[in-house]
Amino acid sequence: MTQQYDYEKLGLKCGLEIHQQLDTKKKLFCRCPAILQGTREPDFTISREMRPVLGEMGTYDQAMLTEYEKGMGITYEGYNDVVCTYELDDTPPFSCNNEARRIALQIATLLNANIIEEMHVCRKNYLDGSVPCGFQRTMILGTEGYLTLESGKKIRIDILSLEEEAARKIKTENKINYFRLDRLGIPLIEVTTKPDINNPEECRECAERIGLLLWSTKVKKVLGSIRQDVNVSIEAGTRIEIKGVQKLGWIPLLINHEISRQLNLLVIKEELRRRKLNENNIQNKPIDLSNSLKNIKSSFLAKGIKSGKKIYGINFSGFKELFGKELMEDYRFGTEISSKVKLISGLKGIIHSDEELIKYNLSNEDINIIKEKLGTKEKDCFILVLGTKNECIKAMDVIITRVKFAFKGVPPETRRALENGNTEFLRELHGGARLYPDTDSEPIFNYEEELNEIKKSLPEYPWITIKQYSEKYKTEERIIKDLIFTGKIDLFDKLIKLYPNNPSLIFTTLLETTTALRREEKNIENITDDDYVEIFSLLKKKEISKEAIEELMSIKADSPELSINQIKKKLKIESISISELNSFIDEIVKKNLKLIKEKEMRAKGPLMGEVMKKVRGKIDGAVVSKELENSIKKTLKEMK
Amino acid sequence: MIEKLKGYREEGKELLEKNQIEIWDIVQIKTRKTQYEGIVLPRIEHSAPNFINIKLENNYNIGVKVSEILEINKIGKKEASYKIPEKDFPHNKALPILKLFGTGGTIASRLDYTTGAVIPSFTPGELFSAVPELAEICNLECEIVFEILSENMKPHNWQKLAEKVKDAANSGIDGVVIGHGTDTMSYTSTALSFMLKDLSIPVVLVGSQRSSDRPSSDAALNLINAAVVASSDIAEVVLTMLGSPSHEYGLIHRGTLVRKMHSSVRHTFRTIDSIPLGLVQNRKIKMFTTDYRKKSKKSTQTFPNFESKIALVYSYPGNDNKLINFYIDKGYKGIVLIGTGLGHVSTNLYESIERAIQEGITVLMTTQTLHGFIGMNVYSTGRELLNMGVIPGKNLLPEVAYVKLGWVLGQTSNPEEIKHLINKNIAGEFLEREIPIAFNYNIDELLKNKKL
Repeated sequence: MTQQYDYEKLGLKCGLEIHQQLDTKKKLFCRCPAILQGTREPDFTISREMRPVLGEMGTYDQAMLTEYEKGMGITYEGYNDVVCTYELDDTPPFSCNNEARRIALQIATLLNANIIEEMHVCRKNYLDGSVPCGFQRTMILGTEGYLTLESGKKIRIDILSLEEEAARKIKTENKINYFRLDRLGIPLIEVTTKPDINNPEECRECAERIGLLLWSTKVKKVLGSIRQDVNVSIEAGTRIEIKGVQKLGWIPLLINHEISRQLNLLVIKEELRRRKLNENNIQNKPIDLSNSLKNIKSSFLAKGIKSGKKIYGINFSGFKELFGKELMEDYRFGTEISSKVKLISGLKGIIHSDEELIKYNLSNEDINIIKEKLGTKEKDCFILVLGTKNECIKAMDVIITRVKFAFKGVPPETRRALENGNTEFLRELHGGARLYPDTDSEPIFNYEEELNEIKKSLPEYPWITIKQYSEKYKTEERIIKDLIFTGKIDLFDKLIKLYPNNPSLIFTTLLETTTALRREEKNIENITDDDYVEIFSLLKKKEISKEAIEELMSIKADSPELSINQIKKKLKIESISISELNSFIDEIVKKNLKLIKEKEMRAKGPLMGEVMKKVRGKIDGAVVSKELENSIKKTLKEMK
Repeated sequence: MIEKLKGYREEGKELLEKNQIEIWDIVQIKTRKTQYEGIVLPRIEHSAPNFINIKLENNYNIGVKVSEILEINKIGKKEASYKIPEKDFPHNKALPILKLFGTGGTIASRLDYTTGAVIPSFTPGELFSAVPELAEICNLECEIVFEILSENMKPHNWQKLAEKVKDAANSGIDGVVIGHGTDTMSYTSTALSFMLKDLSIPVVLVGSQRSSDRPSSDAALNLINAAVVASSDIAEVVLTMLGSPSHEYGLIHRGTLVRKMHSSVRHTFRTIDSIPLGLVQNRKIKMFTTDYRKKSKKSTQTFPNFESKIALVYSYPGNDNKLINFYIDKGYKGIVLIGTGLGHVSTNLYESIERAIQEGITVLMTTQTLHGFIGMNVYSTGRELLNMGVIPGKNLLPEVAYVKLGWVLGQTSNPEEIKHLINKNIAGEFLEREIPIAFNYNIDELLKNKKL
């Protein structure tokens, strides 16, 4: 359903928020190594809770309350060698990491931003547990920059901030969220554009350009080190923040689906008006149906009641078919309500009467009881939930609030991107008031001399590099882009210096061969830059042939403890000299004189196979081919 | 009301004055490179003089360099006015009546989002809206006794608090909670322990290591735990704070055995030379001992007199007689030595110590190891000091010895009575024996192994 819209007519406005981890030795506000620990078992755990704090106007932020009401416990997992008492919110911050600040200044300069002379560290509240102190430390470093798209259109950069990465969520179990603290505090730059983007493809290109630009500086170049959020609004709808867009390719689809969702919510709003329904007439009192449904046929509902759970129901008068209305592909208004219920109350979902109730094994008798108790008439729709009393009450609260919002249109929300291009509710849109000064830290200065120094050694814009490289090395721009996005452009530079004659072999090795090996589930992260340098040195010295590269890499991936040279010895790869090759060829030619006489030059094919059997990996196939051809020609001449 | 140009000086102040701009004015600033719009904020004291603080529309704060500013114009004003929501603290006859005394710590507070200043909230209504759980534990009466940072506490503050506690205890209050900054909390708990005789109700000191304006604060849980302990039968001055980095349980420490042992962690307080009296978790108390004073119908009395001319003198390699001579010359009445090891000081100090004792100054020995007993009969230095008349402070922590000596000298000036009172166990400050795990107990592990 990649429906195309008239984006101009819709008044589509998109903005991007891009987060990128910087590649520093230490974290931003403490001196812990900025190294992720992968699946390593943690050394310790601690448990915490978060409470909402009063906001600027003496009220609680709705997003914070929603988070608190989920009633989730928090467990932090840490390692003694990469987590200190600072990350546990048990020690005040240390001074700001200068390495991180300089990288951020370089990025800000590349984005033509105005640099803030005196930065003030601010706190941004987070109650989901992802930051143990309950807020992220962040500071604005640049304003009013811009980025130029291929078309020449300028997208304005609103702000650039330097901040701390949050902890990584490991799992949720028994209403406890588990966070690993190794990632917490790694320096992060946030680039926010103005809503200058007016169509989905432009949005993808802009995200790609910002990504390329970031990856041409000293940032972490691994999966997950860059994250994109997209803000989408249409004139009749509202602004929605879509978090966690993992691939650039998702962006156009996500935007189109969001447009579809908003337009259909507006259709529902219009339909409600047409049906002359009123928000104030929405029922506020859900009904406990557990007693009436004691003998219910549906086995899972019966099991629930038996285990002490409750069934609550509510009737929405005049709502027939609205919950079944499709908003995005495979996503109805009912899905919208259900996913919000799931997230806030922890229930598995809802049952609504626009669904095929047969899939829940509800008998007609059951349905009649429900309808009678809830007062559901022909044009109505009912919703049921199953859970503990508290869960049901909380879920019903969510349902009523969301249904009421249907009269207003599209609720402003932060939504999570899903792989199929859809999104689901993540949290209420945070109010602006959750930024306040960090009283634990001093102002941080960016000095003019420092900036001038940075301006002297700026890297080239990646889109220019891409053009230059693709011309110089006669390859598609896509290949160079891939090199940048796999973090291998620097390695390429190193290898091409070492082995200048065959750039396409380097491209193939760094991109195709690694992809092929990864597909075989080889752990190619075990192959270091130095290993590639070693491989190409051997190639240069003609100690191996290019046919041996893949096998060397494959073994290195399996046995990282071996050096390339050790692997080479183990494989008995030794290269042979041309005279050695010629003696092999002579031998084979002599054995096959009859074949040569018969087929003349066409004998080369089968003979090539035989020679290669003996010399594969030890000498370049092209050399073999040439020498074999000479030898056959010579033999034929002699025969004549 | 904040002064018009708070924190500004030199160039910054000049620029604002010249353009008739005050704090909270909304301004447009044109600099050499760009322009900003935002609210002028107070400047942090002692920071660089050549910047103006602005809160931008996106809520971020920045400093703009004065020399970059071409033009600054006022376009409006946004005075911050903050109200703390108040809800009536519900009354429940079945629950105990507690009195909460405030001394200036930030048990419940909220943040001024613009300046970052912490605004304390203290009425029952404010506390109820911040920590509604309290209403399930007690009925609460609140009183601000003073508003000072705990490092500024003085003996007269302890005396006032002691009187307040006595009045509360003798007027039918079931328990007292004292909100207190953590820095000198154990001095106050010690002072109250000595000043209050026949204490009939629990007195619980509590604070927080992370201020209550941050979501991760330990303030609410500590306050809830303190209210539970204050509703119990422990008629002693105790201190209740978290017992581990986790927000799981609070420990109940005897007021005369406890010490702040870390500059910043939440479980900074430890009972020294013993283990805590018990713990409080999920609104239940689990005692580790039965050896504590229970609630009674006795009338609580105060003995608040305190001699404040007491010096704490740390012994270190290289110190000499000058320091102690100074205190003698200044008319000090008591000296607590914080000796090395078993209770030693360098022979360099002998002369001044002898002089002090001859001039009638009481000299009490404690140890900078904090843990363990004074043992002055083991080495010749100890014996020599004993011979001079230095009184061994047994297991007393230096700060506890300081408060005890001040209190003793406030009660009497008779040398015999002084000696008698110093050696008398008045508020559980002396231990007869040190249990082997006292030095490095780990409550988490003891609980896990069911040893408590």
